[in-house]
Amino acid sequence: MGDSAYSFSLTTFSRTGKLLQIEYALNAVANGRTSLGICAKDGVVIATDKKLASALVDVDSVNKVEAVNKSCGFVYSGVGPDYRVLVRKARKSAQSYFRMYREDQPVSQLVKQTASVMQEYTQSGGVRPFGVSLLVAGCDGDGTPRLYQVDPSGAYFGWKATAIGKNYVNAKNFLEKRYQEDMELEDAIHTALLTLREGFEGEMNANNIELGVVRKSDGEFRLLTPEQVQDYLDEAN
Amino acid sequence: MSRDSNYDHHISIFSPQGRLYQIEYAHKAASSASGLTSVAVRGANSCAVVTQKKIPDRLMDPSSVTHIFKITEKIGALVTGIYPDCKSAVQRARYEAADFTFKYGYSIPVHVLARRIADIAQVNTQSAGSRPLAAVFLLVGVDDEKGPQVFKVDCAGHYLPFFATASGVKEQEAANFLEKRVDNMKEYTTDETVRCAIMCLGSVLGSDFRGSEIEVACVEGKNGKFHALTEEEIDNHLNAIADDADA
Repeated sequence: MGDSAYSFSLTTFSRTGKLLQIEYALNAVANGRTSLGICAKDGVVIATDKKLASALVDVDSVNKVEAVNKSCGFVYSGVGPDYRVLVRKARKSAQSYFRMYREDQPVSQLVKQTASVMQEYTQSGGVRPFGVSLLVAGCDGDGTPRLYQVDPSGAYFGWKATAIGKNYVNAKNFLEKRYQEDMELEDAIHTALLTLREGFEGEMNANNIELGVVRKSDGEFRLLTPEQVQDYLDEAN
Repeated sequence: MSRDSNYDHHISIFSPQGRLYQIEYAHKAASSASGLTSVAVRGANSCAVVTQKKIPDRLMDPSSVTHIFKITEKIGALVTGIYPDCKSAVQRARYEAADFTFKYGYSIPVHVLARRIADIAQVNTQSAGSRPLAAVFLLVGVDDEKGPQVFKVDCAGHYLPFFATASGVKEQEAANFLEKRVDNMKEYTTDETVRCAIMCLGSVLGSDFRGSEIEVACVEGKNGKFHALTEEEIDNHLNAIADDADA
């Protein structure tokens, strides 16, 4: 990382005690496309708005939701290229854990690892913080479904339901009203779609959103195909 | 010192609004520096790239001024922007492709190379030591599994697969032209793909050109080689387009 000519940190304290580069990075996240996640009692769903600027893009080949190991998936809001760096590092870390222990790295450890990478970039020489917030969905070591958010500062939080990116305040309010403690995964997916539609510009269809799901029953993270997404959308209508 | 956010214009740190000015400036440089517009189109079994050929000085050897580069036998790139940056990025792409073949024993798929070039571009946007390269790649090739592919890789490290796309001074007008035809492109034969790209450039630049004023390259089929068209081949296409227009 950061083998540049700058041996001093670019993220330094302002007079009022703030780390402005991190705050600006959060602004970059708030300008990004909305993503959200909901943790149900039998699984986790993460979803994102995949709307791309041009009809010329081959949308089916673009993936924002990425599986990091068998039981864990990421989605983001913010600067795409920075996200890819984090996914790559997370995959390497997960593979390295598997090589040592022959088991999937539990999601809470993966999150700690990724968050610590993001923190390094706020304190190391000659680099800027990552301009992404991540939503991480996975099943923990004991099988409990978990949803985490990781911020550019390296801070991470476990959530029952949350949203990041454009319009996240309204989305979170919407989620707060609809969330229930003993929600089931199918309801969670339904609610996720409704929340996503709230702030969506234009028509929402199976090709301009992405959904990823982990079920407690099999502990495997899956990206839903456009056909499966369409089925859920039809139910939601 | 770089603590001041006034330096967000100088190196790749965030501005108060969360923008990265260096990347935005790199894009501007890449679009307008060369004064060229480039187009790439994907057909049923082939891809074509077209760009203008502007020779700054009549004493120059025209064959030495090209924006079309072979990255591997099967993958080609049309790179627009500041010419030395383009050459540097192409050299790195060639190295990465060759290194992949050396390590894994088979030639690099287009989307893997596109991702690699994009990841390398991203490094410049996050560390302060070097500036982003003002070069935008239109990477084309025919993949064994996915068929023909066109990828646009930009200064920020964004990369997207396209049915057709453009970069350079008139990229927006070119994109508008292509959007109208995008639904038909999946069925285009190689000739139709090449001609669509040429017509797009013609419509955007508002002029007819001769074979010596544009560069065209294409790759056809899974076993095809990426190659530049000769002036004669380009003239044939131009004549065919003119005949269709008259008909």
